[in-house]
Amino acid sequence: MAGQEEQQLATVISDGNVPAGGADALSANELLASGNTLGAKVRQWWPYYAMMAPGLIFFFIWHYVPIWEAKMAFEQVRIIPPNIWVGLKNFGVLFSSPVFYQVLFNTLIISGMKILFVFPIPIIVALLLNEVRGGKLRGVIQSAIYLPHFLSWVVIAGVFIALLSPTDGGVNQIGQALGFGPVNYMTNTGTIRWVLVISEIWRSAGWDSLLYLAAIFAIDQQLYEAAEMDGANRWQKILHVTIPGIVPTIATLFILNMGMFLSADLNQVINFQNDVNARSIDIIDTYVYRIGLTTGEYALATAAGLFKAVIGMALVLISHVVSKRLTGKGVW
Amino acid sequence: MATQSRRTPMEAVEYVLIVSTLLLLVVFTLQPLLNLLALSFSEPSKIAGFSGLSILPDGFSPDVWLLLLQHPNVQRGIFNSVWMTATSVIIGVFGTALMAWGMSRPGLPGRRIIFILVLVTIVFEPGIIPDYFLMKRMGLLNTPWSVIMYKAISAWYLIILIRFFEEIPKELLEAAELDGANPFQTFFLVVLPLAKSALATIALFYLVLHWNEFFRAMIYLNDQSKWPLQVVLRQFVIEGDKIAIVGAANANNNIGLAQINIRALKAGMILITILPILAIYPLILKFFTKGTMSGALKG
Repeated sequence: MAGQEEQQLATVISDGNVPAGGADALSANELLASGNTLGAKVRQWWPYYAMMAPGLIFFFIWHYVPIWEAKMAFEQVRIIPPNIWVGLKNFGVLFSSPVFYQVLFNTLIISGMKILFVFPIPIIVALLLNEVRGGKLRGVIQSAIYLPHFLSWVVIAGVFIALLSPTDGGVNQIGQALGFGPVNYMTNTGTIRWVLVISEIWRSAGWDSLLYLAAIFAIDQQLYEAAEMDGANRWQKILHVTIPGIVPTIATLFILNMGMFLSADLNQVINFQNDVNARSIDIIDTYVYRIGLTTGEYALATAAGLFKAVIGMALVLISHVVSKRLTGKGVW
Repeated sequence: MATQSRRTPMEAVEYVLIVSTLLLLVVFTLQPLLNLLALSFSEPSKIAGFSGLSILPDGFSPDVWLLLLQHPNVQRGIFNSVWMTATSVIIGVFGTALMAWGMSRPGLPGRRIIFILVLVTIVFEPGIIPDYFLMKRMGLLNTPWSVIMYKAISAWYLIILIRFFEEIPKELLEAAELDGANPFQTFFLVVLPLAKSALATIALFYLVLHWNEFFRAMIYLNDQSKWPLQVVLRQFVIEGDKIAIVGAANANNNIGLAQINIRALKAGMILITILPILAIYPLILKFFTKGTMSGALKG
């Protein structure tokens, strides 16, 4: 639900395992060609490694070198290199800073609100879509509600700033017609977190329903027929056939979302932040960005980022294992 | 779904409620966008009082669009976005396909280790500061290549393509080998043509990803002249930096850009940024939907 990552998560959910290596599937040709000698192996496989080379180099530079760079979290950064190794000192500073607990709290509360109020919406949308007879009408609805998923958070924030404008935004015009005074939702610290929730719903309610809809379509039609023979009405069929049929998908996506708990979506928050609301929606990632790239406290920022990366990794791994156990589907 | 020949009045009411709820969601989704569209095409003199609820322009004038599209900052943003996105997509599709092909071969020595090393990158991201220093060390800061190279090969799309390549029938590949094709020829002449629709899907994924990227461009590129459209939009609409679009000289003048309400300019700017996504939206629906549906059904 939050962020590009999760859409991709959803896209590649499969029951695939990490493939086993070894010579389990050599073709007849390959068997002839390969002795067990190293030379034969090199002769056979070098073209494939040549083709993979750009990708391998890419992954090494852009994903493994930064892990090395992250050692800065344990250093004191000096203007004139080299940096000095200071062990866990930066983490000590981080954990004794009240701001850090504020951003940690914000992150948890925003993620919690999203799990509570955003996560169920696509399930409901999928259940409703499934009830629509006539592929045309359903198709039109789907094409409309999928669109926001493909817009950037800059665009979405721009749309919401206009929509929530206290002077001429649509929401305040409805509010005023109902007799409420104008509210500046973007600067009100009580409403800004809800703006994050609602804009997340705007962005993903439609698209995220697709996975559930796919799961619903995969339910055996005979179950519905049997339920009808027993005289089940629409709600009974939803309750006793459809929902049980998609529980594994719900469980998988729920667990995967839990794995993202410390993210709370940087790309979203950074576009909804302004000087007034900053404190209420400052999350770990925006904190890292701010103290790292605008204030220049590189070591402290790296330490905060590393903290998030390690806890985040643990959460994703736990959620992967739990999901595999319970539903047979994991993160990859 | 199922056959419902006899419907009670109650069921008919339920059905109306269901469809109305969904239509309400459609309105909630589209109204804010249509409002901005209407706003951007309204008569400049009528924009000040334009309702946030209306979806029809008040009068008609293309002025906002003409002014924006003739604006050097917008033009440069479009130019930067287009070439940077195109380059990223080409690098991404070829890099991903080449790597996925090798990793999809069952006997490849070291296959399991490479797979695990790729998965590690999904699970562990050391954060934006190490990335920033890497860019700096490589001398890529403030060059478009910092943005183009970042996430040029996505681990997710790599896995999708590996799964696809694994399904290619062995017989086809063996036939090519018997005809004397070397692994390169097999890949370019047999595998790639077979993978056309999978490659199109991946290309679309990358296209949307890179077109919408703003954060990396924002932190890596200092020169405004190098900014992609998303960052230009952000500066104007999110940061409220009118100077970026209106220009310092015009901000207090009554001519041209300044005469048109900032609100309408912002609306037009948002829509210009969405336009390419809208243009390929039919393709997106076709490929993304299919990709996601099949991915889910597989599990």
